[in-house]
This record gives sequence, structure tokens and C-alpha cells, in this order.
Amino acid sequence: MSNPILEARDLMKSYDDGRVQALRGVDASIEAGEYVAITGPSGSGKSTLLHMLGGLDTPSKGQVLFRGAPLGNGAALDLYRSQQVGFIFQAFHLLPTLRAVENVQVAMLALSQRSNHRAERAAALLDEMGLRERINHYPNELSAGERQRVAIARALANNPAILLADEPTGNLDSENSANIMEILLGIQKQRGMTLVIVTHESDIAHSAPRRIRIRDGRIEP
Amino acid sequence: MAAPLSFTGFAWKNLWRRRLRTVLTLAGITMGISAFVALVGFSRGFEHEWLRLYTNAGTDLAVVETNFINTSLNQSLDSKIRAVPDVDRVAPMIFNLIDLTPDVNAIVYGWQAGAYELDSVTFLSGGRFHDGQPEVILGNLLADDLKKKTGDTLPIQGTVFTVVGIFHGGTALEDGAVIMPLDQMQVISSMDGKVTAFHVRLRPAPPGESYDGYVKRAEKEIEAAVPGVHADPAADRAANNGLVSMAHSVAWGTSSIALLIGILGIANTMAMSVFERTREIGILRALGWKGWHVIVLILTEATALGVVGGLAGIAIGWGALRVLAALPQTASIASASVSPVHLMEAMIIAIASGVAAGAYPAWRGAHLSPVEALRYE
Repeated sequence: MSNPILEARDLMKSYDDGRVQALRGVDASIEAGEYVAITGPSGSGKSTLLHMLGGLDTPSKGQVLFRGAPLGNGAALDLYRSQQVGFIFQAFHLLPTLRAVENVQVAMLALSQRSNHRAERAAALLDEMGLRERINHYPNELSAGERQRVAIARALANNPAILLADEPTGNLDSENSANIMEILLGIQKQRGMTLVIVTHESDIAHSAPRRIRIRDGRIEP
Repeated sequence: MAAPLSFTGFAWKNLWRRRLRTVLTLAGITMGISAFVALVGFSRGFEHEWLRLYTNAGTDLAVVETNFINTSLNQSLDSKIRAVPDVDRVAPMIFNLIDLTPDVNAIVYGWQAGAYELDSVTFLSGGRFHDGQPEVILGNLLADDLKKKTGDTLPIQGTVFTVVGIFHGGTALEDGAVIMPLDQMQVISSMDGKVTAFHVRLRPAPPGESYDGYVKRAEKEIEAAVPGVHADPAADRAANNGLVSMAHSVAWGTSSIALLIGILGIANTMAMSVFERTREIGILRALGWKGWHVIVLILTEATALGVVGGLAGIAIGWGALRVLAALPQTASIASASVSPVHLMEAMIIAIASGVAAGAYPAWRGAHLSPVEALRYE
């Protein structure tokens, strides 16, 4: 029986008063606990679709449903991002003024939790990522692979239902790429999380049981 | 052990990241608050000392022509005021700010030798002057500044006066002042037969009548008996006399300009900071931070600048006030004491300045589109 956690219905996104069409009517459904890769050439609209699914951007037309209900906007969208979604970016996007453990905690500041609990959970997540000795290091003191592992710990901070990763290995060498993918797939399996990865790397795309291929803002059959 | 991260800690780290800019911003708000503490404190201290001058002498009313600095009344009105039934004592007087040396100026009072106000001063050496004689008595602070003692001479406006007494009056306005016979003051001020004001001590209030009501009634009686004069309660006269009003105006005007510069400094810093951190704000929004979280963060940073700048401004302003109270040029009119209310006002202004200056950048940060902010280079 179908149990979609995320659905895209006739999603359209245009910029510059309609002159640029990033998405041209995308329909997609992602099951809870599923691992899906979104692939396609540069500029095809795959990151735009990921941003819509994660509530980072709103469609010009159409809608995104989370567990059957439209995402809404404003405060509802903020709540969705903080509670249900964990983002991982190609450029890591860690905050340079914060130590690794603080970068993880910063995600938890959006939800009301005791400060000691935040610190303990951040340390535990970094430990799980193999960074026990690096929790008090600043981003510029970490390697690229370590930074992405901090970013994964941050994405898990609020125990989301969905992990959305936008080219998570794009800035990493092959060894670190393999390591990060192993971590992400391990999390998806162990925690039963839904994992959606945007990638243009074929070996990563082929590691996913299902692939959504986008070209020119449309899903290829 | 991992240290917990709080909003405040995060805000502090953001400020610390651009130390030089933070310090320069703090310098701006510190300047504004220190100007407020020093200048407004100076003018309020001046008013307070003026009130104490009246209170110590037991003066209830001051009868003046107008509220301007150089009020001028005929001394002959003395008898008409004295004839008002509730009036106990009347002291005609002149006061002016006069340069005694190139470095020292002081308030100079002209009082009659028998003025009731002289009853409230304590002579540390010598005694009262005599009407009609070129004699002065000096407040102890001024005597120290001028290095004068009883028996010395002091030239004022071309006339050589003999110092016949050194006194302690209990207020900076007296301790830093010269008091001479009224007739001598009239000569050096070219105010023959004229006075600045009449100080009036009323008889005790009748039983059952409040002091305020009694003073109001006496005011009306005097103004009815002597047309064309104002009888001001001592507190009003202390607050509204020309010197105090001018000091208040200058203090507030100068402080306001300095505060405006400080507020613009914080606003500029916060606007720059939000601009530079556009992508970081996008990251925070992507992590689920609500718009108001961003507002709280930026306002916390702006408020922290206000608090630290306020504390530094209070310290520097208070120090400046102590310097003013110690300088020979200003010792006679400045008091080093600052009321807790004034310090509280300074902190409230500093914090409000931070919040006001951070409001627009905070609003802008909160309304950034997360995805646009993430794309920002």
C-alpha cells in the first residue's frame, strides 16, 4: 500500500516574470523511508525541486504535500523545516564563528530544548560521525570530509523524518565521498529515514533503488 | 564536555568576529552616553545645587521680574513685599557669573550683611562683611582654588576687595562662590538701586494648611501686592532660572547629537553585518529558524552593543563629571554626584538606542528568502 511522505503535484517555478522556467509541472511521490536520487544535467531544476520539497522555496504553481497535507507557508513552513527536514549542502554551509558542536546545536535553537540537552545531543551526534576528538574545532580547522560529517550531524539534530542532500559529495575526493555516502545510507537504513539526494554522479545515483531524472524542468519518463 | 550554545552566546560570537568594527561602534554609543551622563548630569546637578541653596537658607519663594538671566527689579519693592502678611523675611540679592582670574570664574552674590541667608553658612575663618565696605567672603572651595585666606585682597571688576571670611555653605553654588555686600555688587554690576531677585522666607504655614497650598497662596498675595513681578516657589526657580535652563538646553542638545551619531553607528554596523551574513541567515532559515529567531539574534547583538556602550559611557561620563567638579573653572557650578535615576535613564537610552538601531536590519534579515539567501555570494 502506498504511503507517500512527500508528494509534488504539478510543481512549477518560474523566475524573471516567467521568462525563466525552472520547473514545468513536476509530479513526484516519495515513500516514507525511501532512498531516492534526483539526477539530471546542470540547470535542469533538480536543486529547485529539492528546495521545494524541503520548504526552502515556494512553487509558482502546484503544491508540495507532506504526509498528505500541503506544506503551507510562513510559520508552518518554518516548523516543517525545523522538525521534519534535515538539509545537507554541497558547500557544507557551516557557520565559521561556531565550533563543530555549536554548529550542530544551532539547528536545535529553533526548537525549545534545554541548553544542556542540546549540547549533549550535539556531542553524541558528532561522536556517531566519528568526530569525538573534533567537537571543539572550528570549521576552518576541519578537513572537507569532517565538515560534511558535521553538516550531517547538524541535519540530524532535530531528528527529522526526511534528509535532503544537495550534491553532498560534490566538494569531496573519492575516499571522502564514499565515506559520506556510507554514513548517509547507514542513517537511512538504521533510522528508517527518507533520503533524497540530488546528484550528477552516476555511481551515487545508481546506489539509489529509485531515480528521478529531470531535464529542462520536467521529469523524464 | 561540550559547552551549551545560547542565543546570547551566538550573538556575542558574531560581534566578536569583527572586533575592530564592534569596538568602533561601541566607541560611538559610548561617546553618546558619556555625553548624556556628563552634560545632562552636569545641568541636573546644577539645578539640584540651586535647590539646595534655597532649601539650606530656608527660602520659600524667589520674586523676580522675568525668567531671563538678567532680571532687574527696583530694590525699593522690598518694603511692599515685606508688607505681605505671610512674609517673614525678605533678602534682596544680585547674582552673576564673573571672571575672577583668566582661569577661574565664579558665581558672585550680592547680599545685605543682615540677610537671613547668611545665617545658614558656617564660617571657617573670619566673619560677615559690612554693608558699604569693599569686603567679600569666599566659599571654601573657591578660596582653595584662588589660594586666598582671610585678610587677603581680591580684585573683582576693577575694585579691590578684602577677604573678611571663608565659609562653608553646604552646596557647590555657595562653596565655589563669592559673596559681597549688595551695594558693592550694584556698583560693579552697574545696577544702582536694582536687584536680580528678592528671596522670601514665609512665616510657618498655619495649622491645617498644606505647605504647597500655603506657598501658592503667598505667591498670589505677593503678585497682587507688587504688580509686574513673579513669585516662584524655590523648586520652580531652581529648575527654571536662566542659567539652569540654558545649561539644560545645551546639555540635551549636545547629548542628542552625540546619541544620534552613536545610534547611526550601531545601525550601520548591524546593517553591514546582516548584509555580510546574508548566506548565514539563509542557512539558519534552512535549519528551521523562524523569522523572529533571526530578529531576536540581531536585536540581541544590537542590544549587547547598547548595554556595553551604555556601561562604558556611564563610566566615562561619570568620570568627566568628577573632572568638571574638580576643575577651578567649573567647580563652583558642578556637582560630582549623579542620581541613580540619571544612570538608569542613561542605560535605558543606550538599550533603546541599540534596539532602535537594530530594528530595520533585524526586520530585513527576517524577511530574506531562505533560498535567495543561500545563493548569495
